[in-house]
Amino acid sequence: MKYIAIIYGNKDLWESFSAEEMTRAIAEQDAFNRRYVESGELLGAYGLGDELTARTVRVRGGVPAVTDGPYIEAKEFVSSFCLLDVENEARALELAAQMPFAAQNAVEVWPILHEAGTEM
Amino acid sequence: MTTQAHAEDLLRELAPQVLGALLRRHGELDLCEDAVQEALLEAATTWPKRGLPDNPRAWLITVATRRLIDLIRAEHARRGREERFAFGAPPAEVLRIPGEDVGMDRDDSLMLMLLCCHPALTAPSQIALTLRAVGGLTTAEIASAFFVPEATMAQRISRAKQRIRDAGATFAMPPARELDARLAAVMHVLYLIFNEGYTAPSRTPASDPETQVELTTEAIRLTRQLYRLRPEDTEISGLLALMLLTEARRPGRLTPGGDLVDLAEQDRTRWNRALIDEGVELITGALASGPVGAYQLQAAIAAVHDEAAGAEDTDWPQIMALYLMLDLAAPNPMATLSLAVAVAHVRGPLAGLDVLATLDDDARVVGHHRLFAVRGHLLEMAGDRAAAREAFQGALRRTASTAEKRYLRNRIDHLT
Repeated sequence: MKYIAIIYGNKDLWESFSAEEMTRAIAEQDAFNRRYVESGELLGAYGLGDELTARTVRVRGGVPAVTDGPYIEAKEFVSSFCLLDVENEARALELAAQMPFAAQNAVEVWPILHEAGTEM
Repeated sequence: MTTQAHAEDLLRELAPQVLGALLRRHGELDLCEDAVQEALLEAATTWPKRGLPDNPRAWLITVATRRLIDLIRAEHARRGREERFAFGAPPAEVLRIPGEDVGMDRDDSLMLMLLCCHPALTAPSQIALTLRAVGGLTTAEIASAFFVPEATMAQRISRAKQRIRDAGATFAMPPARELDARLAAVMHVLYLIFNEGYTAPSRTPASDPETQVELTTEAIRLTRQLYRLRPEDTEISGLLALMLLTEARRPGRLTPGGDLVDLAEQDRTRWNRALIDEGVELITGALASGPVGAYQLQAAIAAVHDEAAGAEDTDWPQIMALYLMLDLAAPNPMATLSLAVAVAHVRGPLAGLDVLATLDDDARVVGHHRLFAVRGHLLEMAGDRAAAREAFQGALRRTASTAEKRYLRNRIDHLT
C-alpha cells in the first residue's frame, strides 16, 4: 500500500526555528530517510520551494493562464512530502510518527489510490 | 512451449539451487546472490542462441562461481586487503547431475527461503528478496510487478542483503524452537505475493511486456517448492490449496473492461477446473491428516465456493461452520465480516447484521471500507435500499481502490 506523508508550514513557522533546531531537524529527517529507504518502505522524500515560487495554471477556452502562488488560499502550504510503500495503514502511521516534524507540528497521511481490488 | 520460455522456467527453477550451492562454500548472501544473478543473465542470453548445456545446473554453478571469485577479488581490492579466499574450480559434489542427491538441494532451498524472510527485514524487503533469490526473477520484473521504479527495487534488494549480513544471519537451519515461527513468516510472505498478484488490475497499457510476470504464478510456484520440501506440514498444504482454489476463479473475477464481478455473479464456466480439482484434493488430504490452521480453513471455504455449480447451490451452512472455526483458530475482524455474510445466507440478513454489530467497537475495523460494504450488502438483502445505499456510499468514500470505487458506484446506481 502506498501512502503520501505531507508536511505543511509557512515562512513564519520556518523562521520560528533557530538555525540549530533546523539543522537538527534536517539531520533527523535525513536519518529517517536513510533508515526507511533501506527497509524498502520509503520510495522518495521531496522538499518543495517557497509558496512564492508556486504557480497555478488554468486553461480557459483552450488558453492557458498562469498566476503566481498556490491554488488553495491557506495560512500554511505543502512544504515537503514522502512517498511510502508499506504493508498497511498502521505501518504508515508508525513511520509518520517517527518523522521529526510530527513532534514539532503535524504530519498528514493520505492513502494513494490504486487499481487493485477484491470482490466485495 | 518455445525454447526461450523453457529456458526461462528452467533458470527460475535452478536459481535457488545454484545460490544454495554457492552459499554452502561462501556464506555471504549479498555477493553470492549477485554472482548468481550474473550467471542467470549470461545463461538467458547465451542458451537460446547456442542451445542448453548438457548439465545446465553445473554450467550455472561454474559460471556463478567464476563471477563470485571476481566479485570477491573486487571487494577485497576495494578494501585494500590481501585476498584471504582461495578459490579453484567448484568441487565435484556441487557439480553432480541434478537429481543425484536431492537431500542437499532440499535443505538448501528451505534455508534460502528462511533466510530471505528473516525477521530483521520488513515485509516489502522479504518479498523482494524472496522473489529474486528464491524465485530467480530479475530486479526489473519485481519492480514492474510492484509498480515502483527499478532503481528503488534494486536499492531495496541490496539493502535487504546488507541487513541480513548485519543481523549476523547465516545460511543454516534455524534452531527447532524457532522453526515454526520462521516457517510462518515464509508462508506469510508467499501469501502476500499471491494477494498482490490476485488483486492487481489486468495490466496497464504502459507496462513493459518484457518485464511482466504473474505474481500469482510465482507465488504458486514457490509455494509448490515449499510444499515439496515439507509435504507433512498441513498448513503449507492448506496455503497451496488456498492459492490454487483462489487462482481458479481469476478468469471470472473481472469484466473485459476490468470491473470487479461479485462472486455470486461470476460466470463459473470460466473457472479453472483443473486447479479446483487439485486444490480440493490437497485440502481434503490436509484436513484429514494433521492439526487444522487458518490457511487450511480458508482453503476449505474456498473449496466450498468453488464446488458449487451456481451461487444458489453454495453450501452456506458449511461455510458458516468453517468461518466459526476460523474465528476460534485465528480471531480477525476481516474473517468476522465474512462470517456475517455467511450467517446472513443461513439465518437471514438481520442475523448477519447482528454479527456485524459485534465489530462496532473494534478499533481495527471501525471506519474500514469493507465494514461499510458488507453492511450495505446485508441491508440490501434485508430490503432496506435507502440504508444500503448510504452504507455503500460510506464504503465508496473510504476505499483507496479505484476498482472498488467503480464497483460501489454501480451498486449505488442500482439502488437509486
